[in-house]
Amino acid sequence: MASKKVQEDRDAFKRYKEDVKKEGKPFFPYAIFHDTVMSFVVVAVIIGLAVIWKFTVDDGQPGALGPLYEKEADPGTTNFIPRPDWFFYFLFYLLRIFKWPESVVLGTVGIPTLLLILLIMLPFYDRRPERLLLRRPVAFVAAILVVISMGVLTWKGATAKEGSEAVGEVPTWAKEQGFADNAVAVEVATLFAESGCLNCHVYLGAGGQNLGAPELTEEGLKNRGIEWQVAHLKNPSSKVPGSPMPSFADLGDENLTKIATFLEASKGPQK
Amino acid sequence: MAKSARQAQIEKAALYPLDWTEERTGLVGYTKWFLFRNVPRDVNWMQTLGAATLTAFIVQATTGVFLAMYYKPDPDSAYASIQNITNEVTLGWLVRGMHKWGASLFIILMFLHMARTFMFGAYKYPRELNWITGVILLVMGMAEGFTGYLLPWDQTAYWATVVGININATAPIAGPFIAQFLQGGAQIGPDTLSKFYSLHMLVIPGGIMALIGLHMYLVIRLGVTSPPWSPTAAGRPRDEGEEPQGYGAYREGLIREHEEDKAS
Ligand code: HEM
Repeated sequence: MASKKVQEDRDAFKRYKEDVKKEGKPFFPYAIFHDTVMSFVVVAVIIGLAVIWKFTVDDGQPGALGPLYEKEADPGTTNFIPRPDWFFYFLFYLLRIFKWPESVVLGTVGIPTLLLILLIMLPFYDRRPERLLLRRPVAFVAAILVVISMGVLTWKGATAKEGSEAVGEVPTWAKEQGFADNAVAVEVATLFAESGCLNCHVYLGAGGQNLGAPELTEEGLKNRGIEWQVAHLKNPSSKVPGSPMPSFADLGDENLTKIATFLEASKGPQK
Repeated sequence: MAKSARQAQIEKAALYPLDWTEERTGLVGYTKWFLFRNVPRDVNWMQTLGAATLTAFIVQATTGVFLAMYYKPDPDSAYASIQNITNEVTLGWLVRGMHKWGASLFIILMFLHMARTFMFGAYKYPRELNWITGVILLVMGMAEGFTGYLLPWDQTAYWATVVGININATAPIAGPFIAQFLQGGAQIGPDTLSKFYSLHMLVIPGGIMALIGLHMYLVIRLGVTSPPWSPTAAGRPRDEGEEPQGYGAYREGLIREHEEDKAS
């Protein structure tokens, strides 16, 4: 025997079928008319965006909707902000909230997976027949919270600071880390600033903080050694299992050794 | 006046292909049923968002076919082929622009459509599977976005994918395998690109089409919900002995008349 709840659901759907049959209006021409209008709007908006995108580009200067294309991919220059498409910003920004690397897996996998399961199972734990949003307080509040947090995360991801001005910081670093008189150190610091590490990492407050990668200011205090550092730069996950950091092997052994030396010498501000 | 014999003959000849098809497939009858089946009379503009999403997907599929004719999925020529499409191919900029911006609109529309079905409580009995197929479509739509993002082979594309794949790799158990599969080598290169291309233009869209088919089948079979605040919502609780009434209650045939309209 079907339970009371199941029986009520079935009765309600039977009433729905009856009502639609007796009082409904035919899909054609009524509903299909609205659908068609809406579809034309969609196509018009898409064409409109494409046209604005193309025709506001002025002599190679990016237009209102950005450039037609970026520079060609170059695995050698890592001095570039890894920025996903806008609808991944919220995931991207979620990473920042977690400490690297112990709990970052929560941000990359844990929370998104949990939310996805909650989303897909929704019909199975929200089983009351009530459909009016105002009489579904839990659903109402949850929806508002989800919309706000997705909105905020997307916004934060979109406006996250970029790490490209880092080269200008080298003199400051030299002073704070106390290597200003050391020409070699200054040169290496410049190399470090240009190599794209700061797209994800932070060094003395500079750098892209949008990926939650660990701060490098005091990397030297960890005493991992130059060899470890070079191996890590070549293949990060061989040293830190599961690290999402890309390989920098393309920079070449010489440069990598320099950067490793720089990291090992970075022991935090010398007061 | 009765039709002349000639008229009747012409009519018969014109309808013959339809009759022929109907006899063999039943599709004509089905289409008629599909078009003239009733929907709740209080359906509202928000309920066109599903059709809007479908339209956006069709735009993506169509423009994608044309892009595929000119795009070259290989790191040495991908970037140049994108430039070629944008600058040389007739209306190539339009097709590429529509595909690029249509992708964002598709995602936005899916979210809006999901928000509306959430607001209407339309995922409740008996439409649970509409919702579940919907969520899978949402995930697959985003996967389309992720795989398509690499194809222009520019700096943003490349580095976003590097980090994206590495983030994949942090997942426990399956993560490293998925990442290794996607990347197909020590570094992102030709293998990655052709894998992403195959996923982006064959595997995922195929899956999306199949799921849209299922989704639409369910929508048609179960019907769409009335707005829950509508006083004449289909399926509302009955007062004892109440007769259905309202806009369509007393009408017959396709073009029906409203009682009040008639009076005025
Ligand atoms: C490729 C993406 C999708 C397409 C083409 C699509 C298409 C449609 C269409 C045409 C309808 C008819 C009613 C309406 O337009 O609102 C519909 C209904 C529905 N869709 Fe989708 N949909 C998609 C994605 C989704 C997603 C992401 C969800 C939610 C997670 C979803 C959940 C539903 C539900 C629950 C209904 C039933 C609504 C009702 O009975 O009132 N769909 N869909």
